[in-house]
Amino acid sequence: MTGIGPLEPGEGTRAWDGPRAEGRRPAEGAPATPAARYTRDALYAAYARYARHRWIAFTLLAAIALLAGGGYLAATRPQQRPHSAHSPAPAPYPVQVVDVTYLDGRTTPAGAPPRSFSFAVLLSVTSGPPVTVTRVAQPYAGLSLTTEPSVPFQTKAGSARKVTITMHVTKCGKAPRNASLPFLDVTLRNTRAIQTQSFIPGPRYAEDLSGALEVACSNSFG
Amino acid sequence: MRQRSLIAITAALAAGALTLTACGSRDSGDKKGSDSGNGGGTTVVIGVDAPLTGDLSAMGLGIKNSADLAAKNANKQNLVKGVTFKIEALDDQAQPSAGQQNASKFVSEPEVLGVVGPLNSSVAESMQKVFDDAKLVQVSPANTGPGLTQGPDWQTKKVRGYKSYFRTATTDAIQGPFAAQYVFNTAKKKKVFVIDDKKTYGSGLAATFTEEFKKLGGKVVGTEHINPDAKDFSAVATKVKNSGAQVVYYGGEYPQAGPLSKQIKAAGAKIPLVGGDGIKDDTFMKLAGSEATGDLATSVGAPVEDLPSAKQFVADYKAAGYKEEYSAYGGYAYDSAWAVIEAVKKVADANGGKLPSDGRAKVTEAMQGVSFDGVTGKVSFDEFGDATNKQLTVYAVKNGAWVPVKSGTYTG
Repeated sequence: MTGIGPLEPGEGTRAWDGPRAEGRRPAEGAPATPAARYTRDALYAAYARYARHRWIAFTLLAAIALLAGGGYLAATRPQQRPHSAHSPAPAPYPVQVVDVTYLDGRTTPAGAPPRSFSFAVLLSVTSGPPVTVTRVAQPYAGLSLTTEPSVPFQTKAGSARKVTITMHVTKCGKAPRNASLPFLDVTLRNTRAIQTQSFIPGPRYAEDLSGALEVACSNSFG
Repeated sequence: MRQRSLIAITAALAAGALTLTACGSRDSGDKKGSDSGNGGGTTVVIGVDAPLTGDLSAMGLGIKNSADLAAKNANKQNLVKGVTFKIEALDDQAQPSAGQQNASKFVSEPEVLGVVGPLNSSVAESMQKVFDDAKLVQVSPANTGPGLTQGPDWQTKKVRGYKSYFRTATTDAIQGPFAAQYVFNTAKKKKVFVIDDKKTYGSGLAATFTEEFKKLGGKVVGTEHINPDAKDFSAVATKVKNSGAQVVYYGGEYPQAGPLSKQIKAAGAKIPLVGGDGIKDDTFMKLAGSEATGDLATSVGAPVEDLPSAKQFVADYKAAGYKEEYSAYGGYAYDSAWAVIEAVKKVADANGGKLPSDGRAKVTEAMQGVSFDGVTGKVSFDEFGDATNKQLTVYAVKNGAWVPVKSGTYTG
């Protein structure tokens, strides 16, 4: 239903008719026999009647068009029933579908700065839309890292990607050499959200990281 | 002849009536026990042990209600044909001795095929042997003490002590170091004052935090133990103030952590108090007051509200009309109870739809292989009985509420 009420002339409607009809009279000096005057008056009256109801007709037509258009849109809109059992489930949050596991140490790429070392992790996406890794970081002030492939990179559901991480020691004093549970901060993005998750790869990663730091900082600097 | 016909008709009607009566009583729940006999009408009881009264009841009642919801949902779905699940909840008041008595009571009731709980690691220690001797499976939604699954020397040699013990919560072996990493690297606090309540959970958590904090290069400027029954911590608060600590780590639970935080700030040390899952309850803020803003807590698992898998649980819990919140362990308690239900189902399925006479041993055995998508994510257990899903979250007090500020996943 719309808010338009019955279309009938109201009290004030007629008050506008007189002057409008008057304004349509023929110009001065036109013939004015009684018959002609009668015919002319009849035509004037008919025209005035049309003029008086014209806006009503327009309003009525506009209302019909509006209703028809609204009805069409309502009938053809996408079926969305929030909270209904049939509504499609939203995409999962990226952290709920991504796993990062430690693989092993890798050869450090040629051209990496001194006191660098590399290892590989496996990043897998279990379900949902593709997930893009936009950042990989680690929490220690004395280390920086790069990845291969370099960020951002995307991984689809049901697949896994090997990521080689090369760390560079910038300050040995700020790179703890025997932490039990070091982690990697990975920023993930999919159609649902952007989230940063700390992945704790476990004791093998902790041991390998400690060993690599020990070697890199054996001639302590920084 | 006519008389014989009448007798025959009467006998047939009586037999029919008796048959109908028998059918009608199949699911009445009158018949209890692990042997379902004809495979129908068996009631399986899931025991629940938690502090239902006292300071920690907010968490305990959330555990009880969530386990109850799991049983009701399993019944609604008719998950195990011919089996009706119900819970029996006993109050351990967070006391090991009460927990042990409750364990004995559950063991004495043959219809109990699994137990959910307890909340406290110290209580679990007193129950484990009782359950293990009876081959009665126990799944805790909240115990975080590493020794419960990996033995007292877990740091050097992991040995599983009890095959009947499982848990859906992550351990302090991960929680403590995770907190240390956050405090040192993210919050940039280098000097800590460590306090614990001398209990299994509190002292264990404080130890794993301290070890990692030191490894990272942090300095412990003071340590203290408090009496869990005390409410006046002003002497400890003064020591904290004089130590120059930038942060306090507390291994313990919210009934003491709240007043401790308040009194430390009142002593003039405007520094955050950090604790584990034992302080992550809304009651903490009520006790700590407005100056608790900035205090931190780690908790095992991801925030239930953020998990797509938990949406149905949250809606069902609300619809069920429980008076108390599901609290920190509700999702884990639901999953613990569901794990028992799944194990019972496995046993029944493998036995032609019936529960065998050695149901308890079989359910305990089946638990090791249970795997399902639960409220808190994938639920399964490793070789020690620990949850394979190891998620952690750091929460901060903001505007009088716990707000997640960092989350982590252990993938080792």
